Amino acid sequence: MTSPIKLALGPLLYYWPRDKVLSFYEQAAAWAVDTVYLGETVCSRRHELRLDDWLYLAEMLTAAGKEVVLSTQTLIESESDLKALRKVVDNGPFRVEANEFGAVRLLFEAGMAFVAGPALNVYNPDTLALLASWGAVRWVPPVEMPRTMLAAMPIPAGMETEVFAYGRLPLAFSSRCFTARHYNLQKDSCQFRCIDHPEGLLMNTREGEGFLTINGTQTQSGKVHTLALRLDELVGMPVTGLRLSPQAQHMAEVVATFRDALDGVLPTAQVAARLQPFLPALACDGYWLGKAGLAYTHNM
Amino acid sequence: MKYILGNQESVMPKPLLELICPAGSLPALKAAVDHGADGVYLGLKDNTNARNFSGLNFDAKALAEGVRYAHAKNCKVLMALNTYPQPTTLKRWQQAVDTAATAGLDAIILADPGLMAYAMKTHPQLRLHLSVQGSATNYEAINFYHEHFGIQRAVVPRVLSLPQVENVVQHTHVEIELFGFGGLCVMVEGRCLLSSYACGDSPNTFGACSPGHAVRWQQTPKGMETRLNGVLIDRYADHEKAGYPTLCKGRFEVQGETYYALEEPTSLNTLEMLPEMHRIGIAAIKIEGRQRSPAYVAQVTQVWRAAIDAVKRNPAAFKPQAAWLAQLDKVSEGSMHTLGAYYRPWK
Amino acid sequence: MIAFPSSLAALISRLPAYPPSLTFATAFNLTVWKSLQDLEWEALQDRRFCVAVRDTGIKLWFSMATSGLKAETAGQADVTFTATLLDFTRLALRLEDPDTLFFNRRLLIEGDTDLGLRVKNMLDGVEFETLLESFPSVLGRLVNQVRKQGMA
Repeated sequence: MTSPIKLALGPLLYYWPRDKVLSFYEQAAAWAVDTVYLGETVCSRRHELRLDDWLYLAEMLTAAGKEVVLSTQTLIESESDLKALRKVVDNGPFRVEANEFGAVRLLFEAGMAFVAGPALNVYNPDTLALLASWGAVRWVPPVEMPRTMLAAMPIPAGMETEVFAYGRLPLAFSSRCFTARHYNLQKDSCQFRCIDHPEGLLMNTREGEGFLTINGTQTQSGKVHTLALRLDELVGMPVTGLRLSPQAQHMAEVVATFRDALDGVLPTAQVAARLQPFLPALACDGYWLGKAGLAYTHNM
Repeated sequence: MKYILGNQESVMPKPLLELICPAGSLPALKAAVDHGADGVYLGLKDNTNARNFSGLNFDAKALAEGVRYAHAKNCKVLMALNTYPQPTTLKRWQQAVDTAATAGLDAIILADPGLMAYAMKTHPQLRLHLSVQGSATNYEAINFYHEHFGIQRAVVPRVLSLPQVENVVQHTHVEIELFGFGGLCVMVEGRCLLSSYACGDSPNTFGACSPGHAVRWQQTPKGMETRLNGVLIDRYADHEKAGYPTLCKGRFEVQGETYYALEEPTSLNTLEMLPEMHRIGIAAIKIEGRQRSPAYVAQVTQVWRAAIDAVKRNPAAFKPQAAWLAQLDKVSEGSMHTLGAYYRPWK
Repeated sequence: MIAFPSSLAALISRLPAYPPSLTFATAFNLTVWKSLQDLEWEALQDRRFCVAVRDTGIKLWFSMATSGLKAETAGQADVTFTATLLDFTRLALRLEDPDTLFFNRRLLIEGDTDLGLRVKNMLDGVEFETLLESFPSVLGRLVNQVRKQGMA
């Protein structure tokens, strides 16, 4: 039976060469995702794709039957950041995901329905209801929100709930670029070194444990968060969609695994074995269970 | 609804460089008041504020005494309610707002829009500040909170350069408060889950980064180790200064190199930027450190009072005195300081 | 430099020759306990503390009882505080900030960190003047004098 839960390809968090980005989304057009989030959300200095390029991809993916959402930057610091934000909001046909409250203000004033991104810190029903009143039609809970907290949230009528279900977790945002810092460069003359690291730079503890991932100004988990083995727990939950965060290799297979597992084509007992070869790092799912995010209760 | 800067909105003269000091206890509050703070900020003994450490903070009795003491000496009292209420415990935050209103607090410092709506509706006379945990780094966001909840002051995350702060000030009626001294968050406040990734508790929901229950210090043959829920944050040789057990100040290995991958153990100190902050029109300077002792509060308040008085007397001639810097470095994490993001090359 | 350690030594030398833990606990209960007994000690029930004085090699073991500090025999502790006698004295007199001592590696808290922070924060929450009032007046004046010297 086909599950009503939709799959979404989250915004690309890494900095890839232009050709790689274009081909990635050309392939994604054929994947079993319902929604694709486009745009640069991490660093305003990244420029391999301009807004026009993203809009080109948006049109291509729309033509392929995908819902397209333009994601906005999580940290808006300068007037030029605001200028870029206004351009995205004024893009015309495409829905926008707000990742901070400057974007919420612009979208509210424009009377545009929007997606409330995971960095908006919606932890309670009062705030969710306010966002609905301002025009949010979908929300992504904070990535650290446990299943029990989500289950206790009354969801406003018509509001979709999309859960971050796969990928290295975006854990922290800074104005400092930690990739530039690693190369002893200043951010303003960073030589765009993050382009050399298509899945970021792994930060190990002094005991050799892969702990965090440096991705420019963003800090991600070292492990890959996955709810692939916990899809049964979504039954009875108000979850309408799952967000899968792009990785450099095997994204098609990850998407297919989730789709097949959701639809019951792939039995639960076989999900782990099928996903395993496509995981670029160890798995984790602690947040969903209300534990440390790096915890993992399955053995893959 | 358009936000227009101009004469049509009657504007009270904004305060300039108020000194806002931390109070984790009644003695700390009194130390701040006695040494010249214009305002103190404090929190209750639970996860409604972002310094939820065991044994710290105020119960009803200490709060009443603190408000009485501060007001008698013309010092304002602000309450931080800057964590995020959660579905099953929402009432705790709302009751904390009621407590603040009843106790005669001068303002409450909030991060969550739902709680702002509650405060505005239930206690319309209560002054609201936007907490740094609200992660508002631009004027569009700050003006949004002003339009919807009447926020009168915003504390800006420690990620903007001073010219960026100035741009914010020029585009809002909301008073801008900056962190001047103390612990330095490298990440945008309210947007950092490093702590919960390692140990399950984050500032947003639990009210503490690296809470005590998850921290272990241990002297080993290799040095003093700091662990958070078992994750090795750092190991210090005997001669090395230590930092707080926060993940952003640990040493990690990246591509074969072990170093402070995110930030050194260091404190923010913006003393030398006071003339600029004065010129820009910064309403208040916040001193970090509710987890610190009354001795720290007394020493830091004393220095900053003297410095702010000096810059107000004659901004052009202001120069941080060596004795001030020495005193501040002495109580600083790692005994060093940085200008942080206010100075762009830090980024 | 403050003179308190030698005064303390003189004071201790006049007390009966109990083990140091019992001597300290008795002195503590006769003086500052009066002003501390209303604190929330419940969370500390049945927990064992060790105060290790780095330069003298002396270790004191305690637990909390409803009647005050209770001396314990040497053994395991839930949390151990290690510093020099001078630094412990300066902390007790509120002349030093514990975090500063920690950054400088002069104060070590091993074991249950939360318990250690709780004790630190609870004691910080009591005003020095309140503590002073619970001393016999002569002793109180002496302690205050020592503290003033330390501030200078």
